[in-house]
Amino acid sequence: MDKRLAISTASIAVFIAAWEVAPRLGLVDPFFTSRPTQVIVAAADVVRSGTLLRDAAVSLSEFAIGFALAVAIGVPLGLLLGTFETLRLLLDPPIMAVYATPQLALLPIFVLWLGIGMSSKIAVVFLGASIPIIVNCMAGVRHVDRPLVVAARSFCATRLDVFARVILPASLPGVMIGIRLGLSRAVLGVVVAEMYVSQDGVGNQIMRLGSAFHVDRLLVYVLLVSTFGLAATSAVRRIEERIAR
Amino acid sequence: MTVHVRIEQLTVEYEKPRAQGRFVAVSDVNLDVGRGRFVTIVGPSGCGKSTVLLAVAGLTAPTRGRVIVDGKEVTGPGRDRAMVFQEFALMPWRTAVENVRFGLELQRWSADDQTARALRFVRLVGLQGFEHYRPGQLSGGMRQRVGIARALAVDPQILLLDEPFGALDAQTRETMGDELLGIWEQDKKTALFVTHSIDEAVFLGDAVVVMSRSPGRVLETIAIDLPRPRTIEVTDTTAFVEYRRRIRRLLGSGQEAHG
Repeated sequence: MDKRLAISTASIAVFIAAWEVAPRLGLVDPFFTSRPTQVIVAAADVVRSGTLLRDAAVSLSEFAIGFALAVAIGVPLGLLLGTFETLRLLLDPPIMAVYATPQLALLPIFVLWLGIGMSSKIAVVFLGASIPIIVNCMAGVRHVDRPLVVAARSFCATRLDVFARVILPASLPGVMIGIRLGLSRAVLGVVVAEMYVSQDGVGNQIMRLGSAFHVDRLLVYVLLVSTFGLAATSAVRRIEERIAR
Repeated sequence: MTVHVRIEQLTVEYEKPRAQGRFVAVSDVNLDVGRGRFVTIVGPSGCGKSTVLLAVAGLTAPTRGRVIVDGKEVTGPGRDRAMVFQEFALMPWRTAVENVRFGLELQRWSADDQTARALRFVRLVGLQGFEHYRPGQLSGGMRQRVGIARALAVDPQILLLDEPFGALDAQTRETMGDELLGIWEQDKKTALFVTHSIDEAVFLGDAVVVMSRSPGRVLETIAIDLPRPRTIEVTDTTAFVEYRRRIRRLLGSGQEAHG
């Protein structure tokens, strides 16, 4: 474990060092790549001016609302679809159609319906996150070990007992996988949707700073997104591990 | 001796998946099990012996005939019967005690009773020190001890055991059979035990029901007149060997049922 940590740390350190040194030696043009020290200075700037906070707040709200809705609706819907075959046969085709469609392909329609404010981004996040959640919850229920259900019934379990005490806990790993996959789709959805149609937010800033050649500040925002994505994903992973234990 | 479980002309057919027609799992099975008797059912794989058990458990509906327990026709699972499964059927996210408590929870035993009672039965089956282990951390034999404790904890009148030791190695199997008898001797619940091992059937049973290959029918019910309490030494006696020979002949030589 320590060895793995050491190797990973070394790899990051080497990358950052190369990134700092290469432009100084004239091997690459810092206009295009910036340097870690410049990025740190730029980060201090955007934090002090308050723009980072403002954009992060907008993006985070869109993400949080869309993702919370996706979990709140996707999990129960997926569990229901896994339990009731008729419902599944009924809703499987449209869900699969949406599953196969990149969530961002529908962005223009959402803008048409909801405008360029937060609502259209929330819709993209919701759509992107809810589909993997639904699909994985459904699979989780369908892969519940049959003998467990039979055993519960032999002890006089009611249908509700079977659901609450067997199907729900047994499908929890599937639910968590869905949430983790939905999470990365949600982050992607926020940023890219903001790049296309928005007046603020992290994605919007990345786009603007790119057109203005502010590579250092642009990278601050990119790092913010990847740090957030990484932190959120590993948080879900930790919950998964606790469940699997 | 009063009849506790009566199986009358039980026939169970299943719809064959995808193909037309029906599969006859058991055909016209008749059996009386006296209260407090340990009856074993032996037969080759796929002879429907588990189906008989599922019908008594109320988990499979008879196509024809019926199962009568305590004078009442079985229409579904009941608190008077508890089952032990070949594949253990333990919840992997629950510890040994929590698995044993499962049946108590479902049957709405009073809440403070549940854990204490579950602990008592986990220890009864010899799992002291492993109360808070999950099934994944236990050996096959230990898992089935949990399965047996779970069934005993709900205090059933009838124990239904569906090849409970089928997934265990020969050595563990012998020990488990021996210990099961020890536990059973304490209060002599009516027991129906399905196995494909002739030795196990004779060793455990007051009577052995010998079933034929599919469709499952009862070939013969043989009373086993061996003294109780039995220990594993009984398997070396002439009487035991004679029972084994008789059953093996009934099943036809070269059957996979080993003995």
